[in-house]
Amino acid sequence: MKHNISFFTVFIIALLGFSSLAEAKGNWKKGRIYYRMVCTECHIEQAGGAISPAEKTKAEWRDYFERNLHGPQDASAKYAASYFVSREYRESIKDTNRAAKKMLKIPEDKLLEDVKAFVDHTAKDSDQPSRCE
Amino acid sequence: MTEKVMIFKRFERFWHWTQATLVIMLLFSGFEIHGSYKVMGFEEAVMLHRTVAWSLVTLWVFAIFWHLTTGEWKQYIPTLKKVDAMIKYYLLGIFIRAPHPFRQTMLKKHNPLQRLAYLFQWVVISPVIWATGWAYLFYDKWEVWGLDKYLVLEDVAFFHVVGAFMMLTFLIAHLYLITTGKTVWAHMKAMITGWEEIDPDAEES
Amino acid sequence: MKKLSKVVFHVGRVFILFTLVTGHASATSTADHTKFKELQVLFESGPEVTSACIKCHTEAAQQIHKTKHWTWEFLNPDNKQRVGKKNIVNNFCITPKSNFEHCTACHIGYGWRDNNFDFTSEENVDCLVCHDTTGAYLKSGDNAGHPKESVDLSYVAQNVGKTSRDTCGVCHFFGGGGNGVKHGDMDDSLAVPDRELDVHMDAVGADFTCSTCHMSIDHDVAGSRYAPEAKHTDDYHVHRRASDEENNAHCRACHGNKPHKKEDKSRLNHHALKIACQTCHISRMARGGVATRMTWDWSTAGKLDESGKPEQIMIDGNLVYDGRRGNITYGEDIEPEYIWFNGTVRYQLLNEKVVLNEDGYVHVNDFEGSPDDGKSRIWPVKVFRGVQPYDPEMNRLVVPHTTGSDEASYWKHFDWVKAVQAGMDSAGLPFSGTVDFIKTQMSWPINHMVAPAKDAVACDECHSKNGRLKDIDGIYIPGRDASEKLNFYGWLIALLTLVGVVLHGFGRIFSHFWRRRT
Repeated sequence: MKHNISFFTVFIIALLGFSSLAEAKGNWKKGRIYYRMVCTECHIEQAGGAISPAEKTKAEWRDYFERNLHGPQDASAKYAASYFVSREYRESIKDTNRAAKKMLKIPEDKLLEDVKAFVDHTAKDSDQPSRCE
Repeated sequence: MTEKVMIFKRFERFWHWTQATLVIMLLFSGFEIHGSYKVMGFEEAVMLHRTVAWSLVTLWVFAIFWHLTTGEWKQYIPTLKKVDAMIKYYLLGIFIRAPHPFRQTMLKKHNPLQRLAYLFQWVVISPVIWATGWAYLFYDKWEVWGLDKYLVLEDVAFFHVVGAFMMLTFLIAHLYLITTGKTVWAHMKAMITGWEEIDPDAEES
Repeated sequence: MKKLSKVVFHVGRVFILFTLVTGHASATSTADHTKFKELQVLFESGPEVTSACIKCHTEAAQQIHKTKHWTWEFLNPDNKQRVGKKNIVNNFCITPKSNFEHCTACHIGYGWRDNNFDFTSEENVDCLVCHDTTGAYLKSGDNAGHPKESVDLSYVAQNVGKTSRDTCGVCHFFGGGGNGVKHGDMDDSLAVPDRELDVHMDAVGADFTCSTCHMSIDHDVAGSRYAPEAKHTDDYHVHRRASDEENNAHCRACHGNKPHKKEDKSRLNHHALKIACQTCHISRMARGGVATRMTWDWSTAGKLDESGKPEQIMIDGNLVYDGRRGNITYGEDIEPEYIWFNGTVRYQLLNEKVVLNEDGYVHVNDFEGSPDDGKSRIWPVKVFRGVQPYDPEMNRLVVPHTTGSDEASYWKHFDWVKAVQAGMDSAGLPFSGTVDFIKTQMSWPINHMVAPAKDAVACDECHSKNGRLKDIDGIYIPGRDASEKLNFYGWLIALLTLVGVVLHGFGRIFSHFWRRRT
């Protein structure tokens, strides 16, 4: 009986650890809102087309966020990728972008994690739902 | 040789010109609703047509009151007397500068042909336009008022447009006949200032 | 201790059921499924998870058993046709019959491989596909609705919650086999729509989920297209209360009978007697950046490349030719077609002879309606046209066995006769042995992607010649309809008058100068 309880305790702690790990990974659904309604929106309007998280593999995305370079490549000052989730950036577009306005108060680090979680969830090599195609 | 007579009183002139403006606006927006051309857009045309129609209704309330209280309604009593002379004048006399067979006065400001035209206006055109116009305006109440058993939108629209074409024809003729006064601008001037120059020697009709 | 946990379970169950029914509870639940011992195990399969779920949610599986989501079957009360996904034919992938192992990747159950599936099994109900909140639950494409082996079922089970646009969308956004293929008003852009795309589901606004409108009673979801209501006469009501039997995921439940409040727009309320809300408020289909399929010609399928693989041609990310499927065309941000619809949909079923309509198409489904039956309104539809296999001797539509890797599978061996023989055998239907192709069309109601009021269809898009409603008969539309005769004689008289006065005027000018000269 005692053995049984300690087994469960370990199990629960393990599970809690797992779930908190999942939490730390960021909320991909929130990240998706930001990615689609801020990142994609701007790319369509100013960079000539939509961007899909499935264009890159998980490793490529990780690499992208590690290098933290967003571009444009020929601009004199290359912006950091993280700049585009910063409060400063959201503040600058809040009048024209409702998602940026709505998500204005989310801390920069958290939002970045959310976006990372989304691209990880939807990357080229992520586990996708089955389609008939 | 001529004397000046006040033919059109201030209210009458106000009524005439306001009505003229409103009727032209109604024709313009109405034919757009009808689908004859596209200028301001259907929605705007409908809004304008409705607003102007209600304005005209308001104007008419005052005009009818004015006609009744001043007795001016008698101006529209039709007469066949001298109609033949009038027709002859427009077909022939006007070209050879024959004297106008009708003498305008305060009491009789419309010539016999005019009277017939206006009678047609009052008895045929206006009732058709107004009856169908009201029905059109309250289309959404037909069911509530039990009218849907008797009225068909297509027919209502048809006769409304018939009225509109008659009104348009009337307007064209009316605009031309303005120029047939003593001088080309005489009638126009009278309708603006109220004063018409009248030849006192002309025969009283 | 046991007693306490029982109480917690009970409270949790009641609350979950409450939130599922009302859909209006706050985002956080009072029950944390990670703390439930029943879920703190390593699940090996979907049915194992369901067994754990129904220990507390004792009625859930039986409720599901009664729904179309489970039976894929529906008896139309109006025309007594036995329809539902299991019975009807469409002109996309045609029918799940003989292809269940693959098609049931979108069934809310486990193990429907063939005609022997046990519809009374409770543990074969798939709770997770609707109640997953993690996005990590994925069904396998060829294993009769079972989850992919890579899925961490314990993690998913511990994080169940209310349904979402994602859970409904995992099947309904991908109907017909791919993103936006089938419906025209549903694709994965609705997972995170902005206000312009869908004013209600706006992810940073009202953020409706599907169930905000499609509320369920006892897991039975309102708003089936098999027997929709085309004309609602009732005013506001809070829909889907226990006593409410109606199929009423409709606009009026919230917006009432007179939704246009502004004085200058009040005339539009009267339009609603003849026009569905959707007709004006969903101005275009497939507006979210995802193309929807418009035509599909199965008769051109079968082309293989040198290596023997089906040829594929992609244009702008859309599959326009596939050796397995034939030619396909797409439409994006396009106007729907409009029809009179009274709520009755008649299907061309497999055991009926095909009826070729005047338009040259077999109507796989027919939206019935007319201007004078008192029950119809004008509705927007996506009309999907195709060419699909049929049996010219029996004069019936057929079931092709397309999926799988067996001898008869069309997508493997590209032999129509073999594929149809296998399909018809599986369906228990006669087949003459001859396959030909026939033009078919199918209509889909347009209900989603409701635009903000400012983007509604403008008056003159219908009140004009060659407007959106140019083919709608039985009503007089000002601006569209006018008596040609009336117009001819009207303008003629006005013109003659004008000519007359102009000539008269010239006569006067001429006589004026004539007199002067003499």
